[in-house]
Amino acid sequence: MRALIQTFAEQKGELGQALLQHIGISVLSLLIAILIAMPLAIWATHHRKVAELLLQVTGVLQTIPSLALLGLLIPLVGIGSVPAVIALVIYALLPIFQSTYVGITEIDPSLEEAADAFGMRRSQKLFRVELPTAMPVIISGIRTGLVLIIGTATLAALIGAGGLGNFILLGINRNDPQLILVGAISSALLAIILSALISVVQRLSIKKMLITLAVLVIGAAGISITRLVMPKTETITIAGKLGAEPDILINMYKDLIEQESPRTKVVLKQNFGETTFLFNALKSNKIDIYPEFTGTVLETLVKKAPTQKTSAHQTYLDAQRLLKQQFQMDYLQPMKYQNTNALVVKKDFAKKNDLKTISDLKNIENQLKGGMTLEFIHRKDGWVGIKKAYELDFPVRSMQASLRYSAIKNGQINVADAYSTDSQIKQLNLTTLKDDQHVFPPYQGAPLMKTSFANKHPQVVKALNRLAGKISESEMQEMNYEVNVQKKSADVVAYQYLVKKGLLKGDGK
Amino acid sequence: MAKTMIEFQHVKKDFGNHSVIKDISFEVQGGEIFVLVGTSGSGKTTTLKMINQLFVQTEGDILFNGKKIKDYNLRELRLNVGYVLQQIALFPTMTVEQNIALIPEMKHFKKEDIKRRIDQLLGDVDLDPEKYRNRHPSDLSGGEQQRIGILRAIASEPPVVLFDEPFSALDPLVRNQLQDLVLKLHQKLKNTIVFVTHDMDEALKLGDRIGVMNDGKLLQVATPKEIAQNPENAFVENFFSATVGKNLYKTPIEKIIRTGFEISEPHGTEPIFEINAKDTLEKAFAAMAEVEILKVVDEDKSTVSWVDRASLFRYLSETKH
Repeated sequence: MRALIQTFAEQKGELGQALLQHIGISVLSLLIAILIAMPLAIWATHHRKVAELLLQVTGVLQTIPSLALLGLLIPLVGIGSVPAVIALVIYALLPIFQSTYVGITEIDPSLEEAADAFGMRRSQKLFRVELPTAMPVIISGIRTGLVLIIGTATLAALIGAGGLGNFILLGINRNDPQLILVGAISSALLAIILSALISVVQRLSIKKMLITLAVLVIGAAGISITRLVMPKTETITIAGKLGAEPDILINMYKDLIEQESPRTKVVLKQNFGETTFLFNALKSNKIDIYPEFTGTVLETLVKKAPTQKTSAHQTYLDAQRLLKQQFQMDYLQPMKYQNTNALVVKKDFAKKNDLKTISDLKNIENQLKGGMTLEFIHRKDGWVGIKKAYELDFPVRSMQASLRYSAIKNGQINVADAYSTDSQIKQLNLTTLKDDQHVFPPYQGAPLMKTSFANKHPQVVKALNRLAGKISESEMQEMNYEVNVQKKSADVVAYQYLVKKGLLKGDGK
Repeated sequence: MAKTMIEFQHVKKDFGNHSVIKDISFEVQGGEIFVLVGTSGSGKTTTLKMINQLFVQTEGDILFNGKKIKDYNLRELRLNVGYVLQQIALFPTMTVEQNIALIPEMKHFKKEDIKRRIDQLLGDVDLDPEKYRNRHPSDLSGGEQQRIGILRAIASEPPVVLFDEPFSALDPLVRNQLQDLVLKLHQKLKNTIVFVTHDMDEALKLGDRIGVMNDGKLLQVATPKEIAQNPENAFVENFFSATVGKNLYKTPIEKIIRTGFEISEPHGTEPIFEINAKDTLEKAFAAMAEVEILKVVDEDKSTVSWVDRASLFRYLSETKH
């Protein structure tokens, strides 16, 4: 409990921001859903057959798994808040449509008859009789929609829309239950508070309700318009994959760029997603720069003829050339350390079974239980390649990156994939097995950006090139350890390193 | 003297293949209370709802104030026809005041006029405005609710008010009070009322004229007296005579008078007992053990009519065996 409170205190600043993002996305989605579903339902009360159809359609929409829906929306509308809002609107349609429709159609027919007999216009009947009478039912539908939205909005973090889901994702990534709890508790509290606010609104008259709604809509529209219209200071968006290491790297990028060109504003998007997601974001100009590994470029991003093992430098040159050719992107000079894939086992397990290389695993194949990330399992330079090259065959389960470390720690598995700079290797006393068949390509990190961007921002290129050939494997492991285990913040770790190495003039931060 | 307010000319109404109203014609005079009475399924409510066009006739014409009802703007027509429902149907989200103000507001009455009128109307039905104005329908008893239902219908003083079995769900005591209320308000407003009921006693009490309906046909349109004295057929006769034995001792004297079992002013000198028209037969029987003739007076002690033993016996012998 104390740890949890401490985590809350530590994350205060980020929590506020995430909370605002979360509220923004949720309220906007709810408003849009209300504006679509309520008029539609009101119209449908006069077209009962269409209403049945609409109920089924909205019902089917709601059964689409939210993760799949988000995934399906990315190719259509890109990433960020837009697909998140669309998905959330879709989820909230059913409860709001259903409650409005049912609320109105189940009004005592004698009330409808009275309204007709008194000569009420259709609009008078709607606003003075039908909506007020159905309001408790409608409000309960809106509340259901809201709770649904706030819960599902945590998934928006997966596609770069931010919000409280960031804490949950980060918590899973770092295997930090406190962080997960911070995200979960905040989102639950948010649902409770907003839901209570809605029940306050319920007591207002229809007129005041419409005014409230109008104010909210105008407010939301106003904010988005000012955002569009506001003169843009030069803003560069740098994103990083999930995890501590990319977070540290992009903080370094930021420090270096801002030192080189103080009028540039650098926006960081930490824990932005997985490889292809970031690459697509770069292609569609959602982000300007992200750090990528040479091996990953060759294996997943560019099309190339199958090549044999080459040196780290050759790998970089190939990656740079192909990115330029196929995507008009500039791949700057890589850093020194290699964050290559590796298979790891516990040290005592290695000693007991005399394991030094991956080939040694063959001897104890029938004792092995593997846990690997989904991405690793399906890569040719991952488990697919290993299996083939070493003729290994043992059961492997797909696991989220940090979960596989807990699994190996608790003995549920005894082999896992890893990145050679992962702090957990040090923390959990693991041994890296030598890749004696050279299946894993060399992985060196370097900033990736569009050529057009690089041409327009030579000072950014200059700043980032200062990292070329810097940072050793052990230095990176150490920094990862500081963030993951010692809970230092990534920007401090990045800053301290840059100052220590004389890459940045210290100003006592 | 009074002009025709509503006229049905060979009106028929079918629901699908089912003929509910089979060619009826009648007139409602301006300023009268016209009661449609009949058993359930006789078509009386359907007939009523054609006046405000909640149902549209299949054939025939309905004239409202001399003009064909289908030539009216529906909204204009309905704003000038009050409507009291059996289900009362006060709007549950509105207060008493808002319910009554609804139609005057739609007719763009001045705000202060509406307010004044509401206070006055609530006073008319013996509900303290201070106490009741801001209550919601769910806080009221059934009788109180229907009082508000009546006020809602008459608040803008429409020339015609329709009552669709408004008191059938209320207990006899409250029903009686509300019938008196309808008569009182009618006297004051001089409006035209079309009132539907299945209760012949209610029809006899309220109706200036009564239309007896059965199976989609209008059997007889006549005053209460004619209905009782000269029924057109056995159905009408039975309908009336069935009411005689019902609650015999509680029957008010005024019913005897209205149905024509009275006598003209006697010339003799024998002692005469005075009785109020609202008094019941129970009291009359006690008095008639002493005297031959009773003078019936109203609340102001002015003479309404006379009954004697013979006329009372004639009334009693009407009862269905």
